[in-house]
Amino acid sequence: MGKYTLNVNGASRIVEVESDTPLLWVLRDSLELTGTKFGCGINQCGACTVHLNGVATRSCRTPVSTVGSAVVTTIEGIDTPQARALQDAWCELDVPACGYCQGGQILAAAALLKTKPRPTDADIDTAMARNLCRCASYTRIRAGIKRAAELAATSTPAAGKRE
Amino acid sequence: MTHDPNAGASKLGRQMDRRQFIKISALAGGGLLVASASDAGAHVAAVDGAAAAGLAPVADFAPNVFVSIAPSGAVTLIAPNSEMGQGIKTSLPMIIAEELDVKWEQVTVVQGDLTPAYGRQFSVGSGSTVANFVAMRHAGAAARAVLVEAAAQEWNVRASECTTFEGVVMHAASNRKATYGALATKAAQLPAPVDVPLKDPSTFKLLGTRIAGVDNRKIVKGAPLFGIDVKLPGMLYATYTKCAVFGGEVVSANLDEVKAKPGVRDAFVLSGIAGLTSGVAVVADSTWNAFSATKALKVQWNEGPQVSQSSVDMAVQALTLAKANGPTSPPSGVRAVEAVYHYPFLAHATLEPQNCTAWFKEGVMEMWTPTQIPSSGQGLVIKGLGLAANNVKVHITRLGGGFGRRGNNEFSLEAAAIAKKLAGTPIKLTWTREQDFAHDNYRSNGWHAFSAGLDGNGKVVALHDAFVKMEGGPGDMTAGGFPFNAIQGSQVRSSKLRGGIPTGFWRAPGDNGNVWATQCFMDELAHAAGKEPLAFTLDMLATVPASPRFDANKLIAVLTLAAEKANWGQKRARGEGQGFAICFANNAYVAIVADVSVSQAGELKIKKLTAAVDAGTIVNLSGAEAQVQGSMLDGISAAWFQKITIERGSAAQTNFNKYPMLRMSQAPPVIDVHFMTSSAPPTGLGEPALPPAAPAVCNAIFAATGKRIRTLPIADDTLRWS
Repeated sequence: MGKYTLNVNGASRIVEVESDTPLLWVLRDSLELTGTKFGCGINQCGACTVHLNGVATRSCRTPVSTVGSAVVTTIEGIDTPQARALQDAWCELDVPACGYCQGGQILAAAALLKTKPRPTDADIDTAMARNLCRCASYTRIRAGIKRAAELAATSTPAAGKRE
Repeated sequence: MTHDPNAGASKLGRQMDRRQFIKISALAGGGLLVASASDAGAHVAAVDGAAAAGLAPVADFAPNVFVSIAPSGAVTLIAPNSEMGQGIKTSLPMIIAEELDVKWEQVTVVQGDLTPAYGRQFSVGSGSTVANFVAMRHAGAAARAVLVEAAAQEWNVRASECTTFEGVVMHAASNRKATYGALATKAAQLPAPVDVPLKDPSTFKLLGTRIAGVDNRKIVKGAPLFGIDVKLPGMLYATYTKCAVFGGEVVSANLDEVKAKPGVRDAFVLSGIAGLTSGVAVVADSTWNAFSATKALKVQWNEGPQVSQSSVDMAVQALTLAKANGPTSPPSGVRAVEAVYHYPFLAHATLEPQNCTAWFKEGVMEMWTPTQIPSSGQGLVIKGLGLAANNVKVHITRLGGGFGRRGNNEFSLEAAAIAKKLAGTPIKLTWTREQDFAHDNYRSNGWHAFSAGLDGNGKVVALHDAFVKMEGGPGDMTAGGFPFNAIQGSQVRSSKLRGGIPTGFWRAPGDNGNVWATQCFMDELAHAAGKEPLAFTLDMLATVPASPRFDANKLIAVLTLAAEKANWGQKRARGEGQGFAICFANNAYVAIVADVSVSQAGELKIKKLTAAVDAGTIVNLSGAEAQVQGSMLDGISAAWFQKITIERGSAAQTNFNKYPMLRMSQAPPVIDVHFMTSSAPPTGLGEPALPPAAPAVCNAIFAATGKRIRTLPIADDTLRWS
């Protein structure tokens, strides 16, 4: 058992858990941030994707003891222009099927758009390769990323915070 | 974020409680039961907050269990069936809204709990829309009729002179209008109408348009909706470990050792409960501590008789059985074409592992369950734990995928049995991914030993299928479908392997394997006959006798359309190919054309899929298109990569690293879906586009490479060519 101070979605959160507890379960059980999903537990499906210092990371294999002062951002907290554009595009194009993987998909795509604002199909294939969609909504995920790229390009950096 | 236990039934439910519900039964035919509605238990407050904001306690108009209109004009509609990605939480309320004549933007949708008044709450067999279409229309139309009557009485005019438009009743002659909200209080006092006419389908405004899923905004923000997201005050976290060998039972376990692990609150054996496979429950203060302690579990099992089962042995037995069921004597003067097709067991692998939250207090079992058949879980708990039906309450959460898996509800009984042992404390049971693979109700394996006879003109004059599958579960094969119904005297003779491996409903049961085999063999026959495959199938379809259930002309129409849209028949370079397949399932007619390329090194790329579908009236075009696209890729993902192998009576594949699934780069960049215009009632659409996808791809692989795939998954074969 150890005490850890985490920086999650801009807030300092103290948790007392076993040191081998994956960040996934700290988020879900201790911090009630259940948008980060459990799918496989072995780095295979990407449902547990979060951002650690802006990098898309599988939280199911990230022990809490290794997180340190890294900035943890979950689907509940992400508020970058890219993420907001993705969330809007996902709603506009009706991307989610069951929806279980979509938080992870959006976080993976947000990391992609940050480095490649106009991704090619090959960029999308590479960036999204680690996120499974059991409903196979890949056609719409791809379209959603492209639509979000358009939305992000037209929105001004000063645009206000949305819902 | 935490569920308020005192909220019990939702605010909507409580408000509905306060009103007189004399009218409910007249309209819904289901008695006076009150809707107690909630989204995932953890988030009742948030969800109902939205619904309740528009609901004044006294004056709402709630003409039936599905519809409630507040004086503010807010319209709340109940979605009675389980949402697992098939879009039913959006499409059923759309049907109500169409007849009610309200703007979709006015509508708030609330997930219904398991309640007899809602009627058929099964989400299986692509049947939710089919079974509820008329009931939903009546619910909307009856509510609209009362609102019109309320306006007519207010204005002292005839109801027949009034019209409605987007939530407003109008009387053109006197130029008066009133919103539904303004009429709600008056309408609430009026009796239920009888024999309300339904709209002429040609006047539908909402149905057939693209409406995005009602939960999308919550999904993209990570809001808790799913069963696995439920959290109750003081809740503990449980695992339940069963014998990896199917049917094995617990003899003993190192419970004391496990109880000493960090965070563990209890560990015990459950056995002797009707319907429950014996196992060991571990209960801890977090999911991770429960998972960790479960790894330390050492159980002595009585593995039982299934330990001798293996996929290797089954294959040997199946071929022996098929041989014994072969055609007695092939017709003389014909050329025989023979081939054996085989498909393996499949897991459902819903991305959200099986889970259920249960709370037993004061003799009542309350459950939050991601289930396709909520009444089935309730039934298991009633029987297994000896509880009365009215003491077992089921809240339907959103499902992280269904695919037929969650028609079985053994996880509900497991959770309830643990909760009963820990009476007073809510528990959430979560299966690990490994447990989910190990204890599925798999799609049965199957073998088709075909033998056909071609006459001198290349016409099929005999067709025989010796079919073998595991005993139990769905997936039987008959000679009633195409192409058997096109050939006089065609025969299917089935035999079964010894059962014992749990098999069940996997999306498009039966068809998911049988259509693959028959549609690939049809392509094989066309080539053997020296015919162009499309013309060969169209010619055979034209000879199928008419029947009340099946119209071959509709299959001809979708195949012709798909072929045209896909530019069927253009000459292609070696390594490029097109294939097609057709399917009639859930009363829908589907044709799919696949365009593939296969490199000389054997790398398969699916370049394009083109589907033509006759599914009757389309309720939600966006949802319908998503179902067709998704089910095609689901079928291809399974056929390309997946198999469950039985070794020592248990599943050899335990996670996605051993059971690959289609990923982004493998999905075709283009999927065209064309729906036939139709005024027929809606058919099922969650499944029928799955079966023809894999054979279309396999036939395209043959066209590209000359390699015939007769055993799945495709990835087990090399597609290399030179």
